[in-house]
Amino acid sequence: MKKVLRSSLIIVLLSTLLIACSSQGGTSNPSNNGNKDNTGGTNTSPQTEAGGEATTYPLKTDQKLTYWGEITPNLVGVKASHQDVPFFQDWQKKTGVQLQFIAPPSGQGREAMNVLLASGDLPDLFEFNFLGDFPGGPERAIKEGYILKLNDLIDQYAPNLKKFLQENPDIDKMVKTDSGSYYTFPFIRGDDYLKVFQGPIIRKDWLDELGLPVPETIDEWTETLRAFKEKKGASAPFSVVSKPRFFNDSGNGAFIGAFGVNRGFYQEDGQIKFGPAEPGFKEYLKLFREWYQEGLIDKNAATADLKAVDSNMASGATGSSVGNAGGGIGKWQALIEANDPKVVLVGAPYPVLNKGDTPKFGQRNQSYSSEGTVSISTALKNPEIAVRMLDYGYSEEGHMFFNFGTEGVSYNLENGYPKYTDLLMKNPDKLSPAQAIPLYARGSYNGPFVQDKRYAEQFFALQTQRDAVLTWQKTDAAKYNLPPITPTPEESSEYATIMNDINTLVDEMTLKIILGNDSPDQFESYVAKMKSLKLDRAIEIQAAALERYNNR
Amino acid sequence: MANRQSFKQRVIRDFLLNKYLYVMMIPVIAYYVIFHYAPMYGAVIAFKDYSPMKGILGSDWAGLKHFQDFFNSYYFERILKNTILISVYSLLFEFPMPILLALMINEVRNRTFKRLTQTITYMPYFISLVVICGIITDFTNADGLINRLFMLLGYDGQAMLQKPELFRPIYILSEIWQRIGWESIIYIAALMNIDQEQYEAARMDGANRFKQMIHITLPGIVPIIAIMLILRMGNLLNVGFEKIILLYNPITYETADVISSFVYRKGLLEFGWSYSSAVGLFNSVINLVLLITANYISRKVSKSSLW
Repeated sequence: MKKVLRSSLIIVLLSTLLIACSSQGGTSNPSNNGNKDNTGGTNTSPQTEAGGEATTYPLKTDQKLTYWGEITPNLVGVKASHQDVPFFQDWQKKTGVQLQFIAPPSGQGREAMNVLLASGDLPDLFEFNFLGDFPGGPERAIKEGYILKLNDLIDQYAPNLKKFLQENPDIDKMVKTDSGSYYTFPFIRGDDYLKVFQGPIIRKDWLDELGLPVPETIDEWTETLRAFKEKKGASAPFSVVSKPRFFNDSGNGAFIGAFGVNRGFYQEDGQIKFGPAEPGFKEYLKLFREWYQEGLIDKNAATADLKAVDSNMASGATGSSVGNAGGGIGKWQALIEANDPKVVLVGAPYPVLNKGDTPKFGQRNQSYSSEGTVSISTALKNPEIAVRMLDYGYSEEGHMFFNFGTEGVSYNLENGYPKYTDLLMKNPDKLSPAQAIPLYARGSYNGPFVQDKRYAEQFFALQTQRDAVLTWQKTDAAKYNLPPITPTPEESSEYATIMNDINTLVDEMTLKIILGNDSPDQFESYVAKMKSLKLDRAIEIQAAALERYNNR
Repeated sequence: MANRQSFKQRVIRDFLLNKYLYVMMIPVIAYYVIFHYAPMYGAVIAFKDYSPMKGILGSDWAGLKHFQDFFNSYYFERILKNTILISVYSLLFEFPMPILLALMINEVRNRTFKRLTQTITYMPYFISLVVICGIITDFTNADGLINRLFMLLGYDGQAMLQKPELFRPIYILSEIWQRIGWESIIYIAALMNIDQEQYEAARMDGANRFKQMIHITLPGIVPIIAIMLILRMGNLLNVGFEKIILLYNPITYETADVISSFVYRKGLLEFGWSYSSAVGLFNSVINLVLLITANYISRKVSKSSLW
């Protein structure tokens, strides 16, 4: 008996020892065999010789493409896969190109991409943010041979995108890399109105009841939160999502911006600065420390996730937060109404120190912010059809289709204005517009097309949402934010290592000072630590990247 | 030479005698060769700048760069310390618990109660880790269950997962809660095998139940305990990252950040395959050394060992 047991234990042991190795090494096939299906599609394009000319859709081809992309979080729980979503079915019909979808688990796109690339078995098309989520950025992705450089292909087969980029040189500059390579079919916010969608949110009904104005300065905020706590019995007057980082949405400079800094890099007086190493950041930490000690911030601030904030909002424990017009005001309004029908949520301006100042920072995306973009992998040997297919989103017909879906089904033209139908806005299956729109169109999130302002005008169904966007727009963020810059492929791993260590330190410093584990006087020693982690080198890399960008 | 000859002859004779047994072994051997030994050459990417498009053999050599990066990392000491501490604490506090439980269950006479206890204690093992961590987070919140109990006793509620000094206790206590029943199974099985006559003899000699436990039951399962301990040593540096990353936050990094969570943040999210392999290899080597040492000591001391 003992012997049997012993030998079986040996086997168990051996296998556990080796599991680590097998998971590292099993991926040794370097050949590009991701496109078994598209051999049949060779040279079947309708107009092979007529490069640069308009494409007629649907294309006549039997080429089948594999398409890797995350399904939008709003559809999670509504539809299980791309294939079930009417939009993706129609997209194939309209372009005439068949797609076979591969979707990573929602929210894990980056990890899944990591494994996918390591396997070397690439799909034909990637919907992935190579600028933001791929270390080393698009230049490296091209150099390492994952994705195609698209310059010639766009010239020849993507007349719509080419025309758009020629007409918009500012955006053109963002969409290419430092060396002038195109790498993706971009998602473009077609109007200033679409670039701002997030900011501080507060319960106007409480303010009115207490006779307080919508707070503008930090002092007014303190007073307001205090009143919420004392007179409204809010146990967590201000709560925010802290996943993955503490006060995640402060990355854009909400509240921190009052002290003239943000949580990342920004430009000021021709110099690149790192917010958490600037003196203003200390003032922000001090303020939040006081708020925390006074009980004005959620006690579970360090661990609160979206669910926790939602439930604080719904139960009336919280009267203010930072969130989006759609996912914040829209969602919370409905949540609270269930308990308290009088509720009115409004957008408050980004706080400043002195009344009348313009906030220095606030959420403001660039016209091109690199999410929801589609790149073509090197596995696709005959990319013409794919390029023509992806160009569809920038055509006039494709513009309507991507933003509003199919006429007669998801929208009707009323005096030339595309109006979403009740199928989307008052869905019979009780789906919210945020869930129903992505079933038929991509206007409410992203993808390879130019977003239309008329989507937002309808999506923000409440007047308070539309007003909030206008309130939040009033910042100087455009002046201080950095454009989409990237380190060179050579510098990228050095930069990533430095920033990984520094951001860990910043997160730790922020929480320890705010929650009272460290005194605010420790701030300087943290900054010294950042310097020893080579912060200056990181700033240097960013400055060089900015210079290269400006020279594009 | 003569020795080898005779060995060869013995093998041939044995093969002829038991040829079907050997045939039956082929799939097992093939499994290990294909899935465990062959992939091991992939560990070589720890010494390369791995690029999937170039393949394992085609990637450029990087020498010991990734190891140096790891050892020189600003947080190296802290994560090594945390890894070892969490391991050692769970060895000290978690490892003996299933043994105690097994001994207690063994003393219970009522069969129904015995079965019930066993089932209930090993149930948590089957709950998904994500769910467990969700439960832990909710319970330890400032207004969570545990804090409400404390508040009844007049203490102030505080978010426990925001206290660096509480991270390890929470981690280990929940570990005990989740694994105690499951891990006790092997001890209970071993207890079944103890010769009942020994107990009778002891009773004749006037030993009470406690004495019987100390002098018969415990010595009876010492070999199993030793082997489980050796196995445990072999995993000393493997603190699973899933539970850590589900429970930690920046304020508890100083006590919670371990090698695997660090590698997750740095290697996996940054696409650093070679770097992660280097750390993995480092981990495996240390574990192997620990395992061999523990086995050696155990062989000397208790005469029971894996080989």
